[in-house]
Amino acid sequence: MQRYPSALIFRVMNRTNSTHRKSSLRASFLSCGIAFLALLLTCLPARSVAAAPPTFTVGWSVYAGWNPYFYMAKSGILKKWADKYGVVIKVQRFDYGASLDAFVAKNIDACTMTNMEALDMPAAAGVDSTVVLVGDYSNGNDQVLARNNLTLAQLPGKPILLVQKTVSEYLLERAMVLNGLDSQLPKLKLLNTSDSDIVGAYLGDKSNQVAVTWKPLVSEILAQDSGVKSLFDSSRIPEEILDLLVVRTEVLKRPDGSGVKFARAIAGAWYETVAQIAAANAQAISGSAAASGDSVASYKEQLKTTYLYSTPQAAAQFSQSGDLKQKMDLVRQFCFHHALLGQNIQSVDDVAILYPDGAIQGKKDRVRLRVDATYMQLAAQGKL
Amino acid sequence: MAQSFRIADLTGIQVRPARLWTHSLSWILFVAGIALYAHFSIVRHRENPEDRVIPSATQLVQGMKASVLEPAEEDDPLDPGASLVQQVRHSMIWKDTVSSARRFLIALLLLVPAMLIGLHMAVFPYAGAFFLRFVLFFDKIVALSLLPILFIVFGIDEWSKIMLMVIGVAPTLMLDAYNISGGVPREQIVKAFTLKSTNLDVAYRVVLKQVLPQLINSVRLNLKPLALFLFAGEMIASTDGLAYRIAIMRRHMGMDIIIPYLLWVALLLFMLDALLRFTNRRLHPWYQPL
Repeated sequence: MQRYPSALIFRVMNRTNSTHRKSSLRASFLSCGIAFLALLLTCLPARSVAAAPPTFTVGWSVYAGWNPYFYMAKSGILKKWADKYGVVIKVQRFDYGASLDAFVAKNIDACTMTNMEALDMPAAAGVDSTVVLVGDYSNGNDQVLARNNLTLAQLPGKPILLVQKTVSEYLLERAMVLNGLDSQLPKLKLLNTSDSDIVGAYLGDKSNQVAVTWKPLVSEILAQDSGVKSLFDSSRIPEEILDLLVVRTEVLKRPDGSGVKFARAIAGAWYETVAQIAAANAQAISGSAAASGDSVASYKEQLKTTYLYSTPQAAAQFSQSGDLKQKMDLVRQFCFHHALLGQNIQSVDDVAILYPDGAIQGKKDRVRLRVDATYMQLAAQGKL
Repeated sequence: MAQSFRIADLTGIQVRPARLWTHSLSWILFVAGIALYAHFSIVRHRENPEDRVIPSATQLVQGMKASVLEPAEEDDPLDPGASLVQQVRHSMIWKDTVSSARRFLIALLLLVPAMLIGLHMAVFPYAGAFFLRFVLFFDKIVALSLLPILFIVFGIDEWSKIMLMVIGVAPTLMLDAYNISGGVPREQIVKAFTLKSTNLDVAYRVVLKQVLPQLINSVRLNLKPLALFLFAGEMIASTDGLAYRIAIMRRHMGMDIIIPYLLWVALLLFMLDALLRFTNRRLHPWYQPL
């Protein structure tokens, strides 16, 4: 115990004795300081990127409908389209929550998200956002699971495992409402459970009777416990849980037009990729499955319950239909009633949505989310 | 006394700064932190008046009001005529604090036997032989990775969270108690026996008595790991609690609630630490920490 400090002092004194050592000590202090400063500088976001070509970053997270972004970048399809429009597009994988944080903080230009998060994350935080691609909707990917042949009417009072304030809670509410159980909603006992632990927590303890989650977690649970049944799934509420590509409106509106080029390039690349997947191109499927480390079989199973808008015509048509407004209204009411739009939003109309036909849901001066069918339409007309 | 200040003093060891200096210096980093925050908040709000990433002072005040005066979203709203005390008693932050504090204090109580085991390990050779190797091994287990097992064994309710805290911190405390107790000079123990002490007398009235202040300090150091494990548990699965609220608020960037919550947690921990330090000083005035 005692020996160390004295040895240290001895060494230090030895150093300071000679002037030569002293100056080298000072120099090393100095270089340390410079290195530290340099480190700080590199940590700062690089704001001033040299002139051409403009670079855009797309954030995506693991999900059946978004995995194709990984394949799209890896296969060179994206580069081909980006080169055509003279832009550089980077694709980066995030955890879902982190991707939204990065998008709201304006660290990335575009991000994949559901219609619900598009509304309650960027739009409600005042980051004007534009939906450029409607990729797919959950057509059974999200499910309400229960043991012991419980029915929806028996759910009140039983703990329900789910990630709160996400599409899981939305799905559960819709299940209750569609079965005439609106009055039971306040009696539901929700247990916020992280998606990384929900499978273990649900399977490990038989007293947890109900869980709401998504694929592939749903498949894992169903495969490991034959006593679990699906009570309700998102195929019963088609086109309500939408998976989108959202771009910051200010990026799209850049005066040099590079934002528009970016949107065109990514739309072109997306529909080329999706066409391959729809045609069951083995490479496209295995490339997308690899994005999440899923087996091809598991990914194909997820695709079955994901309704991909495989043609731009279908996507553009849906984006311009009255259906979208109707479905979005359900979602925005849900967000508002659960205070997801923020503490100081007094009315659901304070976060307004602009549709392709110019109709506005909410207050005219508070448009925060825009659905832009332009790029889907251009793709449909083959004009990209 | 009133010695004038020289620049060279800043790097001196043999200097005694005036009271004014020590006080003002100790606040500089606080002021700098607040200024930095305000700067970034203003910049972001200039660009986007509704920014939620770095809430402005008004947003923060609103968030604080909402958390202190309004019931949590999942609870029933309060009658409009409720008094201030009632409002606070039914507020979101009160509810969360009570449930988190209960978990925290139960875990803290469960750590007392852990420290006693550490003491026994040091004093009784057979106890040492029995426990030491295992505790050394167990201390290196990353407690968080045990969570799925804890869920299965203790269910998903209170006990899995409390046990996560206990399992996470107990081995460290045991080893610390073992080391501290082992530091009591052998001569003292021999002397106590020559004065007709029994085994338990030596363990509890000679060793424990003089290591107790160090043990309390050890607990103080472990308050933060405890809070960390509590937060991890609450974020992963719960229906209430301070970290539960933070996890929920994260879903829609409710930083106006999260930041007041963080400050509140820091204050609570600080007060608990101060309480322990104060108690320690009162109980053991003879103990002079380093």
